[in-house]
Amino acid sequence: MVDRSHSASASLLEVEDLRVEFVSSRGTLVANRNISFSVAAGETLGIVGESGSGKSVLCRAILRLLPSPPAQQTAKRIAFLGRDLMQLSERQMQEVRGQDIGMVFQNPMTSLNPVWTVGDQISEGLRIHKGLGHSEARRAAVRLLRQVGIPSPEIRVDDYPYRWSGGMIQRAVIAMAMAGSPKLLLADEPTTALDVTIQDQILSLLMELQRATHMSLVLVSHDMGVIAETSDRLMVLYAGQIVEIGRTREIFENPAHPYTEGLLRSIPNVGDKERQLTPIRGQPPDLARLEDGCPFAPRCRHVSADCWTADLQLAEVGDGHMTACLHPERIRLSKTLVDVEQ
Amino acid sequence: MAMREDGSMRPQSADSALLRVEDLRVEFPKQRSLADFILGRQARVVKAVDGISFDVRKGETVGLVGESGSGKTTAGRAILRLNKLSHGRVIFDGDDVSALDYQALGRFRRRVQMVFQDPYSSLNPRLRIGSALAEALRFHEIVRDNEIRREVLELLSLVGLDAGMAERWPRQLSGGQRQRVGLARALAVRPQLLVLDEPVAALDVSIQAQILNLLRDLRNGLGLTMLFIAHELNVVRHMSDRVVVMYLGKVMETGTTEEIFERPRHPYTQLLLKAVPRLVPVKRQRAPALEGDVPSPLDVPSGCRFRTRCPIAQPRCAMEEPADIVVSVTQKVRCHFALDPRVASVMTNSDPYANRRGE
Repeated sequence: MVDRSHSASASLLEVEDLRVEFVSSRGTLVANRNISFSVAAGETLGIVGESGSGKSVLCRAILRLLPSPPAQQTAKRIAFLGRDLMQLSERQMQEVRGQDIGMVFQNPMTSLNPVWTVGDQISEGLRIHKGLGHSEARRAAVRLLRQVGIPSPEIRVDDYPYRWSGGMIQRAVIAMAMAGSPKLLLADEPTTALDVTIQDQILSLLMELQRATHMSLVLVSHDMGVIAETSDRLMVLYAGQIVEIGRTREIFENPAHPYTEGLLRSIPNVGDKERQLTPIRGQPPDLARLEDGCPFAPRCRHVSADCWTADLQLAEVGDGHMTACLHPERIRLSKTLVDVEQ
Repeated sequence: MAMREDGSMRPQSADSALLRVEDLRVEFPKQRSLADFILGRQARVVKAVDGISFDVRKGETVGLVGESGSGKTTAGRAILRLNKLSHGRVIFDGDDVSALDYQALGRFRRRVQMVFQDPYSSLNPRLRIGSALAEALRFHEIVRDNEIRREVLELLSLVGLDAGMAERWPRQLSGGQRQRVGLARALAVRPQLLVLDEPVAALDVSIQAQILNLLRDLRNGLGLTMLFIAHELNVVRHMSDRVVVMYLGKVMETGTTEEIFERPRHPYTQLLLKAVPRLVPVKRQRAPALEGDVPSPLDVPSGCRFRTRCPIAQPRCAMEEPADIVVSVTQKVRCHFALDPRVASVMTNSDPYANRRGE
């Protein structure tokens, strides 16, 4: 079923029926299956999931960055700005990656080349993709560094990365991603390696850049708090599949999948006095050994016989709110558990 | 008497301190580079922990929070004498730990155990889980040899693992299971004090909650005392009776969990709390709580070390290092303006819910 959580006409990115497999000696591992969703112009889609949920694979699949072999990627289409990315040549994809879609990955320290100055690395993209001359590209790099909040950018532009802190490097990586004035920024756990005060700075910066440029943002995180503060819509991944998608506020107030409910119940909240934690029992599944039926069934508090055999489909439970759960009515998350009443 | 978050009281006389840290300093010499040598510069010293004092009473859980570079992990290791103290004392149950001889140190390490972020790196990959636990029991002569097997199974069940786990290898375990084994091994010697260094930071959210609940159960069941070192404020709030907030090697504020989270008086504590994302699904529109980076520990600012990032810093802050200001019996704040109404305004202006009001 196609994601209809917002009007399709305004979609910037539409992913339909994406499937990614990894072929290994252990057999075939399906990292993404039945993935269909869209991102509207100017909105933030938050993607939440634990390790192994397939969220990083999904980001790389959109950009067709997964090496094949071992990865095998199929999709009905990945429509972006009216073009199907699945049909583009590698050369055309490079254009898309450098310009229309920017990306920021988790570990900023490995995103920059240590033997090049920060300025050279930012201006490289500008020279290649925008055809700027050397001094023009350098001026643009200084402007970008200022835009992402680097103090005295005209001096720091000639620094090598080792002189910069993790937070500054993540800003530089964001500056590189912004160099092509992208319409979509994919940020895969952009703050996970950072201290909380630096995370706070980077999140404010991303929100500010989005307001200034009206770009769309896909923000992947394992942290429900980060997702809560940044996203308009939310997609929950489990075992490589979408288990719930909808407006963020709606999902926080009325989660319609037991996994989402479990995530919300298992986080201690810094604003809460004595919050009882109800962990999700068991372990995340082994993707190489997924069986039929709902992948969450072995850990589910509300499981029933039909869950073990049913073929899972997303079904609408509210306006643009879809769940893969057969029995969403069994979830009664007390609203006091989440301080939405603020 | 110290107030717990649930309002109950527990004894607080200084005598009941199981662990007391007095003016603890840990310094690491930084090797002189060739350039330093040529220019005749002296070797510099990183003051990772720069004079901290606090105590942990019997049965209490104290949270030690701070960002990277705050010195919290170094302090935890120094307490177990895994790092050398440069200055100060660590007193455990009345004995000065730095003065212990080899035998006494062995006895001390039976009573104090450390749990690390990733127990995988502290488990021998060639020992089955059962053997690893048995080794600890045998080395510290906890039980008679013929009781070891029974004790291993008891430890496994204590941390919520089934008996079959004894036959498994460390590599076959998930992150959560490994952390349970790390706990079982620490508990094998029946310690009084557990020093936990980021015990849940490497775990997935759903597994984190399992381990946090287990830690709470163990503490209540075994009457353990805990020093809980973490950077995640929500986790610290969940676990601790009292909290110690560190910044660049010094304690900025201490208080009961309620004081620190409801009525923080140090601008750093206030802004640190503001920086934590809330589970409130409203898109943020605010500026970041704190600008800039933590200064290098090689180049600590004069006076108050937080002044370079502090929104209410005054000329005085650069010249004079603040002393502890006592706000309550339990709350101490190292800021010149802890009792100044301007400090309260930092919190009001940066009210974490400010941009969510009026919806």
